[in-house]
Amino acid sequence: MMSKGKKFFMYAFLTIFSLLSIFPLYYMLCAATNKSIDVIAGKLIPGTYLIENYKSLIANQNLGLALWNSFRNSFILTILCLLVCSIAGYGFEIYHDKGKDAVFTVLLTAMMIPFAAVMIPMFRMFSTLNMVNTMAAFMLPSISTPFMIMMFRQASRSFPHDIIEAARIDGLSELAIFFRMFFPTMRSTYAAAMTIVFMNAWNNYLWPKVILMTNESITMPMLVANLLGGYTVDYGMLMLGVFICTIPTAIVFFCLQKSFAEGITGAVK
Amino acid sequence: MKRKIISALLALTMVISMTACGGGSGADSNSGDTAADAGAGDAAADAGSADAAADTGSGAEEAAPVEGGSADENTLTVWTWDPNFNIYAIQKAAEIYAQDHEGFKVEVSEVQSDDIETRITTAVAAGDLSTLPDIFLMQDNSFQKYATNYPDVFTELTSVGIDFSQFSAAKVAYSTLDGKNYGIPFDNGAVINCMRTDYLEQAGYTIDDFTDITWSDYMEKAKVVLEKTGQPILTSQAGSPDLIMMMLQSCGSSLFKEDGSVNIDGNAELKQIMEIYVQMVKDGTLVEVTDWDQYIASLNNGTTVSALNGCWIMASVTVAEDQSGKWAITNMPKLDGASNATNYSNNGGSSWAISSNCQKVDLAVDFMNSTFAGSNALYDDVISKGALATWAPAGESEAYNQPVEFFGNDAIYAKIVEFATHTPSNITGAFYYDARDAVGVAVSNICQQGADIDSEIKTAQETVEFNMGG
Amino acid sequence: MSGSSKKGFTLQQKHGLTGWVFLTPAVLLICWTSFYPMIQAFILSLKTGMGVNLSFSGFSNYARILKDPTFKQTLFNTFFYLIIQVPIMLVLALILASLLNNKQLRFKGLFRTCIFLPCATSLVSYAMIFRSLFANDGFVNTVLRGFGMNPVMWFANAWTARAVIIIALIWRWTGYNMVFYLSGLQNIEYSVYEAARIDGASPMQTFFKITVPLLKPTILLTTITSTNGTLQLFDESLNLTNGGPGKSTMTMSHYIYNTSFVQSPNFGYAAAMSIIILILVAILAILQMKVGDER
Repeated sequence: MMSKGKKFFMYAFLTIFSLLSIFPLYYMLCAATNKSIDVIAGKLIPGTYLIENYKSLIANQNLGLALWNSFRNSFILTILCLLVCSIAGYGFEIYHDKGKDAVFTVLLTAMMIPFAAVMIPMFRMFSTLNMVNTMAAFMLPSISTPFMIMMFRQASRSFPHDIIEAARIDGLSELAIFFRMFFPTMRSTYAAAMTIVFMNAWNNYLWPKVILMTNESITMPMLVANLLGGYTVDYGMLMLGVFICTIPTAIVFFCLQKSFAEGITGAVK
Repeated sequence: MKRKIISALLALTMVISMTACGGGSGADSNSGDTAADAGAGDAAADAGSADAAADTGSGAEEAAPVEGGSADENTLTVWTWDPNFNIYAIQKAAEIYAQDHEGFKVEVSEVQSDDIETRITTAVAAGDLSTLPDIFLMQDNSFQKYATNYPDVFTELTSVGIDFSQFSAAKVAYSTLDGKNYGIPFDNGAVINCMRTDYLEQAGYTIDDFTDITWSDYMEKAKVVLEKTGQPILTSQAGSPDLIMMMLQSCGSSLFKEDGSVNIDGNAELKQIMEIYVQMVKDGTLVEVTDWDQYIASLNNGTTVSALNGCWIMASVTVAEDQSGKWAITNMPKLDGASNATNYSNNGGSSWAISSNCQKVDLAVDFMNSTFAGSNALYDDVISKGALATWAPAGESEAYNQPVEFFGNDAIYAKIVEFATHTPSNITGAFYYDARDAVGVAVSNICQQGADIDSEIKTAQETVEFNMGG
Repeated sequence: MSGSSKKGFTLQQKHGLTGWVFLTPAVLLICWTSFYPMIQAFILSLKTGMGVNLSFSGFSNYARILKDPTFKQTLFNTFFYLIIQVPIMLVLALILASLLNNKQLRFKGLFRTCIFLPCATSLVSYAMIFRSLFANDGFVNTVLRGFGMNPVMWFANAWTARAVIIIALIWRWTGYNMVFYLSGLQNIEYSVYEAARIDGASPMQTFFKITVPLLKPTILLTTITSTNGTLQLFDESLNLTNGGPGKSTMTMSHYIYNTSFVQSPNFGYAAAMSIIILILVAILAILQMKVGDER
């Protein structure tokens, strides 16, 4: 076992790192419960102004709608993305050959161009198809991402080939192997990918802002941006908005972290 | 086996497309519903878009573009950004207009000013203006960029019956290109010198000692104030060219010449102003803070004696309720020795534009003409939100002559409207941002890295010329 | 099942084909929503003009890049971030992940969530907080004064401002990369570690001899995505320093964005610069694939 000194060092390191990491969350919490003028003065103690900030937030912005839209969008997008990308990543790795490796390398370049450069052509494409202001136009560009495909491709590398062989002998179809063998075995990868995709979908700002132009499609990041837009910023209200915007991703992470960080050894065997 | 996979995949893709499209139609029908129960405050901006999309069917580009506009005869769609400021103002205007025009309403989408610009840029570049609303608000600093590059976005307003002479000339100039009007001026950005009278008192001054003075006088008094109170007279956001631009405009000088060529290198006023700025930083009478939040903090925390900015800064100053009565407003110092120097300038502000996608131009113009270009009632009301008119008749009303307790019971609103009428015009043009930014970079290099002023001015000139040469 | 193959494919060929079918939806989507706009962007990069009045001008935009001091500055800044930040961040993430993978460790979930939180934090607040922490009279300088050191004007000097950006990046993305390592570690049999322990391997040896080699696919993934992310860095440059002081912290993506949407728009030039980024990232990615993707 580890020596006491080493153990102490480890806990100290992790504690310091954790504290540094959550400091901004604490700051947000303080700010969300204080008056704007105290926030700007750098007050770092929780205050009593939470209710007032909340009241002005819901008076100014459609918080419920934004939360619902963000949840719905992120949820649907996450499911679609995981489905399409995991099967592709699996395909690239398990059945890999020269051709597929080459295609993969080409695919990778799709994530390498700054979004600012493709945004206008993309908008033109969807506007020609009469798809501006549709959920489809908002989601399609983020369903299949080289990044997620690569994540599943890399993770599939540790998926034991003898399981596949055994399943084939048992007469399982290739698709069934994917769903019945790969899917449950790679729960940790799915959980990690889900966290990441959900977070990215949740925080996505520029594209939805351009393609979804109706008041009904407001999302949390747009709501936060609205709070920042005026000549005067109510920092208490802003930070409450930001805090509410941060919490769901944190919850998703907290719920999923056990599945991707504490393995499911035994599921394979 | 293979067929099984393929059919499974086909099913999958179908599910995907259906889910995606289903979501889309869901959103649209939502907006349809909202539009149906008319009168519900912030009804759907795209009430028209669902219908239009269905009607036009194919060929969005060729078909009459009405997508962003409202289908309802009596409704105008608007993009603007601040619920406590311009959104309030346009809704108030609609309310006033509706008194004589039954059923009239506006559908406001809250869109940040940057995002309005991004959307317009994207729409124009993609060749599809049908997504634009009937009316949108645009920052004055950006107006020329759009009017020059994309005149097609706007409905020209030169001869539609709006009396532009009632607005301050400097303000109208922002939305005018080649003698054509593209915008209806909205809020005032007249520069005010907003000072803490309690600090001034400590230093042995009153607000009158800072009224109608020159910069050299101001700099000397600033040193006394620093010595007596320990506070700098001004704070400024590092790297921001705002203060320099205000000073430049106050003496009728611009970063561009009449013919549109860059006027940075060899602009005597600009160099003099930059020297003043750098000197004040050296004296400690002007402190550069890292960002906007810190700037606001310095005003509210009393770590600066004054704010020299567009009059909209008052809204941030008055947040500190405990400082009521300790502030006063006067005009800004003027540049020594410059022939056209004044004590007046402008920073910020915005103007309304009617888009070329608007199918109800007559209605939109009449609405604007009866409100923002013709209603004392409107301006008297929006004053409560800190939105000051640039429409001169507004300044004569009673509301504008009310004393304001926070600012020592001075009738500041009438004063500011008057300031605006003295403000010299500023030549902005399509490359205004580029030029402002280049000057900001130069000042920041001089103050923070100790770079040479002449070579930085030269670099700034070259940067802007490079951008223009593209 | 294999008997139903009428056209007489070998098993190998059949599996190859199945693989293609599996990746078809993803590939088609990427072609449609990424490659098509990319080709459009490339065509755009061959055009010059202001606003919407564009005309073909060959490679003049690319020639223009060579003469642009701002582009050179942003190129330098971006590569500086890449070289300093990516290695530090990935090593730190790897160390944290292997520490947190320890079965005996208590409060694992809490530690993990805390360390992950920075990347979930909305950009708005995170930028605000960092700016106020490193402000002239901010928290960091207060601490420095407490230790008797001189306060630093963080955002006033090019190098300290770059340092703030790097610190912010490490702070924000370490937990994010840790997630990939943690999930990658679950695919390593715990018995391998047990065996190593019984053989008397030190934690150091275990880390370098077992963890790192077995995590190689994940390390490759994070290296490529971090490289890509850093070369396209935009948010931090815009929100933390706004490129300042001067242009000494501005990134290439920030400059491209400005060229399209902030300055008087010059889409052709912005597209040309984007293609350059694409080429740079692609070269680096291919190198990384060559080194790290051996099976």
